[in-house]
Amino acid sequence: MNKNQGSLLTSIYTIIALGITMIFFFPLWWSFSNSLRIPKETFTVTGVGIPFINFTPTLGNWTHQLSFPEAHIALYNSSFIAVISTALAIVVGLPAAYALARFRFRFPPNKDITIWFISQRVLPPAAAVVPFFVLWNMLGIYDTKFGMIIVQTTFIMPFVVVIVRQTFLDLPIELEEAAMVDGATHIGAFLKVAVPLSVPAIAAASLIMFTFAWNDYFFVSVLMMKNFTLPIYIAGGVDSRGVQFWFIAVRTMIAVILPLILCLLAQRYIVRGLTLGAVKG
Amino acid sequence: MIRWDKRIKLLFLLPAVIWVLTLTIAPLFFSLYLSFTDVKREVVITGVEEIPVLDKDGNPKTRSDGSIRTKKVKQKELQIKYDWVGFKKYKRVVNDQEYQDAAKFTFIYVIISVFVEIILGLFLAFLFNRRIYGRGFMRSLMILPIFATPFAIGFMFFTILFEISGPLAWMGIPFLSNHNWAPFSVMLVDIWQWTPFCFLVFLAALQGIPDDLIEAATLDTKSAYKIWTSVILPLLQPIIVLVILLRVAESAKLYDYIASLTKGGPGTATQSVSFLVFNKAFKMNDFGYASAGSFLMLIVVMVFVMLFFTRLRKTYE
Repeated sequence: MNKNQGSLLTSIYTIIALGITMIFFFPLWWSFSNSLRIPKETFTVTGVGIPFINFTPTLGNWTHQLSFPEAHIALYNSSFIAVISTALAIVVGLPAAYALARFRFRFPPNKDITIWFISQRVLPPAAAVVPFFVLWNMLGIYDTKFGMIIVQTTFIMPFVVVIVRQTFLDLPIELEEAAMVDGATHIGAFLKVAVPLSVPAIAAASLIMFTFAWNDYFFVSVLMMKNFTLPIYIAGGVDSRGVQFWFIAVRTMIAVILPLILCLLAQRYIVRGLTLGAVKG
Repeated sequence: MIRWDKRIKLLFLLPAVIWVLTLTIAPLFFSLYLSFTDVKREVVITGVEEIPVLDKDGNPKTRSDGSIRTKKVKQKELQIKYDWVGFKKYKRVVNDQEYQDAAKFTFIYVIISVFVEIILGLFLAFLFNRRIYGRGFMRSLMILPIFATPFAIGFMFFTILFEISGPLAWMGIPFLSNHNWAPFSVMLVDIWQWTPFCFLVFLAALQGIPDDLIEAATLDTKSAYKIWTSVILPLLQPIIVLVILLRVAESAKLYDYIASLTKGGPGTATQSVSFLVFNKAFKMNDFGYASAGSFLMLIVVMVFVMLFFTRLRKTYE
């Protein structure tokens, strides 16, 4: 009896869970479905918009949008900025993560340094945005990829520090000690022992940092003009004739697809990463 | 234990510290200074220069008498003047109806969205912690919104909340055109994107609770409600507090959704503090107002974070 009741309950819970999952997935689905319709049908299709059943899908919007250089420039700029910022954040942040895991600092103590790194993700960027605008103009790096990379690197660095710090803490220190007994320097022990053993965490941190740099709009809208990235490119889908749903859908998808794939790849580390190392997950 | 050279310690830590320090603390101080000043941006003509007129090959054009043709070009320079005005900007911000409205909207927005996200996240975590079919697959689908580009999400919801023929048009609700509904539409986007995050964290926490603890509790009472309130929720409490802190700090930044979904409208019904500050700074060129306005917000968020500070500090022992 118990077993039957159990499987019935499991079925009921599964149905509820499936329903909620569908609701949460729907907006992404709708956008994807929209991108496959001919313009007229973006306003007329009813139901949940399943290709071949509710409408005849076409790749026309995609080929049309991707044939314009704007799409390529935006994709190139966004990827370039995100990749270089992530790489820089790792080069600068990884040793700091290691230092916070392995060395003892007295003043200020380690945990305060860690919290200080984290605090940047908590503070509202609006407070820093006017100074950046003025300073970047003075330094002549306004509206350049270089200027954008500097800003993004600053604000994504906490992720690598807190995520990889935890991994370094979990590594047995004996491995590094053994390497140093064999004649490795401190830096050698870090580069040849600690870093290779933490590659999964570093990769996950990179995916999260890449996504945050890729997704940013606030700093982009202040510090970039002609050198546009994806968000600005999406906004271009709205013109004087009103919002063109079919183009918006394609452009939204172009922006969102990569983060979604990265999200699935970094799944195991999202909890630790987005709670800034506080919950191990 | 290895004895680490002090210089090595600093060599590892300092680059990151210096990088972040110069690029966050310095702008903050500059912003503090700006909030006490009236910034005037003026284009000043500093002189006139005569330069030769070039033809399309890059050679100077000549007049019929053989002299080089020239044109006069004004030399312009952007000058920024800072006049110290004391607390004037702060007074203006505090008394400004627009700022008050933005602060009120941001406040309500944060309270409602975070509240719903926590409750819904807990419920989902509870559901997914059960034995259900296809859990891994559904979990993967559920967490997709977390990483989606917020600015793009705003546009996505623009098409979904479209009142004439969108998929939710049958509800007959003026999602974006009514000043009472529009704030809720923005909250809906936040809830859609961040409930999965709360869910994921709570699920991880729930799965971390040892089974025998729950089993021991089931010996005492058969009521699932009692087990939740007296065993599970107290165990989750530190994590719930942390998620609240992170979500409040994050959603108070509200800018991207508004920039793409409502543009602060209708009227100023969905104007957040960040959005208002942005407009004041870059559409009306009032740097002082923007700095003062964002500093007030910074102080409020800081005070809130400080309330949780001791608890947060323990987490990073």
